[in-house]
Amino acid sequence: MGLDSMRHITPMALLATLVMTVLNTSCFGDEPDYCEADIETATLHVSNPAEFFFQPTDSLQTVFSTDSVITFAVRSDANVTSLAPMFTLSPGASIEPANGSSHDFSQGAVHYTVTSQDGKWQRHYRVNVVPTMITVADTLRFDFEHYELETATQRYYMWHNVLPDGSLGNDWATANAGYRISMGSAQPMDYPTTPLLNGYDGAGVCLTTCDTGPFGRMANKRLAAGNMFLGTFDIRIAMSDHLHATRFGIPFTSRPETFTGYYTFEPGATVQDFNGNPIAGRTDSASVYAVFYRNHDSRGNEVALYGDNVLSSDLLVAVAKMEYVAPTTQWTPWNVKFEYREEIDEQLLANRGYSLAIVFSSSASGGDFIGAIGSRLCVDKVRLICSHEE
Amino acid sequence: MIKIKNIVITALLALSTTTVASASVLDSLRLDARLGYALGGTVPTHMGNEIRGINKFIPGFNFIVAAEGSYPLSDRWAIHSGLRYELGSMDVDSRVKNYDIEVVRGDESLKGIFNGNVRIKTTQRRITLPIQAQFYLDEHWSLRAGIFMGWLASRKFWGWAYDGYLREGTPVGPKIEMGTEPGDRGDFDFDKNMRHMQWGIDVGADWRFSRRWGAFVELTYGLSGLFKSNFHSVQTLRPLYGSLGITYSIHLKKRHHDKKTD
Repeated sequence: MGLDSMRHITPMALLATLVMTVLNTSCFGDEPDYCEADIETATLHVSNPAEFFFQPTDSLQTVFSTDSVITFAVRSDANVTSLAPMFTLSPGASIEPANGSSHDFSQGAVHYTVTSQDGKWQRHYRVNVVPTMITVADTLRFDFEHYELETATQRYYMWHNVLPDGSLGNDWATANAGYRISMGSAQPMDYPTTPLLNGYDGAGVCLTTCDTGPFGRMANKRLAAGNMFLGTFDIRIAMSDHLHATRFGIPFTSRPETFTGYYTFEPGATVQDFNGNPIAGRTDSASVYAVFYRNHDSRGNEVALYGDNVLSSDLLVAVAKMEYVAPTTQWTPWNVKFEYREEIDEQLLANRGYSLAIVFSSSASGGDFIGAIGSRLCVDKVRLICSHEE
Repeated sequence: MIKIKNIVITALLALSTTTVASASVLDSLRLDARLGYALGGTVPTHMGNEIRGINKFIPGFNFIVAAEGSYPLSDRWAIHSGLRYELGSMDVDSRVKNYDIEVVRGDESLKGIFNGNVRIKTTQRRITLPIQAQFYLDEHWSLRAGIFMGWLASRKFWGWAYDGYLREGTPVGPKIEMGTEPGDRGDFDFDKNMRHMQWGIDVGADWRFSRRWGAFVELTYGLSGLFKSNFHSVQTLRPLYGSLGITYSIHLKKRHHDKKTD
């Protein structure tokens, strides 16, 4: 190549170099480290599982991303002084104290810290292994007096039930966390489930069917019924599979007979369908019911009931449902008997093989996004009257 | 991005193989009508580590129509300017990790760290005014470099985060899965956050293969960013267009050189 032609190729080469420089900056860099720090599951292996756990499946706990307390309820005579729980962690994360190390759980919770692969994020967990007496209650009382703003965000309320020993439990769940996804700007009292300062007796709880705003319209999930239930709410699938986000039921060791309480219900002005169009001549209806079900299937797998099968599952043993929640602005009592479909297996009952769910919703078809915005169901002084056969 | 890169480099190499040395004299204004196919859209300022791969890249039906002119300053140098109308669209589907994202709708927003797939579609209609220095290598070849000012006549930027999960707020916030279908995924629409005015660098090369007809290759890279400076929902993106096309030239006054070769 002569000097002459070199002279002319050079500018072209320069241009090519420039182009390549611009484009090369667009190439992929090294894979970044993971930044999550979760315990995803916790497992407790013991040599005598049948004597230690109520149910074989109790040895494995799935931990929600919103949980920071992990509790294994074990038999009251289980020895918990030297146990070595194993954890699966989010990718790349590490845990301190070491995964699988032995600890004494008889003195209360053991604290664990999980650190992300990139070292920038940490989460703190408390792990409890609680020897649990099987209590046979006469009456369970739910008065909704114990509520607080959710700790991490301070954006919405959550409720605690009073346990037989007087301590506070976390058995009540709501879909408030899900509402926050669509309406991040909402104030705590704008959420579907809110405390009612002056209820029938002390504080009560108020469930309101709310508009889900611009995100709701975009996703064609235009309303959120106020709900409250015994169980857990899985925020992970609130967007992708909302009917399964409401996981109804907590293990229950008494035989429920009667479900009572006080309510007011004011249906919203206009029932709207899935697409937000008004349905003429229809009045919104509320849900007030309790179900009792076997919490394992025939193959021994742990089962919960969800929004799509809580009233239809084959595992249902007894249902107490208010057939019609008549609109009323006065506190009105309800008293519904559990209708049993099959006999209780006392052995299974003692081994926490049944679960109970109490469910309230301000729009009965809220799971299908049908209801009237503004429908308002308030409840208070809920009682579950139980019996047991000697 | 890889595709764009290959195409642009191949085009440049193809054009650079036929350089011929010869003198050229230019003494009058020359006007070109240009028609080209453009490839491009937007690229991140740096392909962050967060982008782990491109699942799919679909260039849209993009074109450039332009009327441009060169005003000679000397035998080899000229000033080149004109008006271009560009239609650019892009549809890119990428796989991301630890990707900062904010999904906005009305007054509501949901932000956090996303792991999964992100689909981005853009369409822009842009009118640009390039101002370039042009250097004649010979009677066939010239190179241009300079800046451009652009105005977006219409703009769309939308897409969705899907098949993955968001950690709301921070990497230790609630984990929210996003599905594939509308309603289950995180849709975004950032039309209103796009700048109307753009500016950037503009380089090109022209090859005249007959008295009237020629070909050009052009690369414009926006330095102003695609979005307004107060917008942080997605990482800084810049408009990048590579284009290839033909030119038809009119000389207002015939050059000496042209007379000889005609």
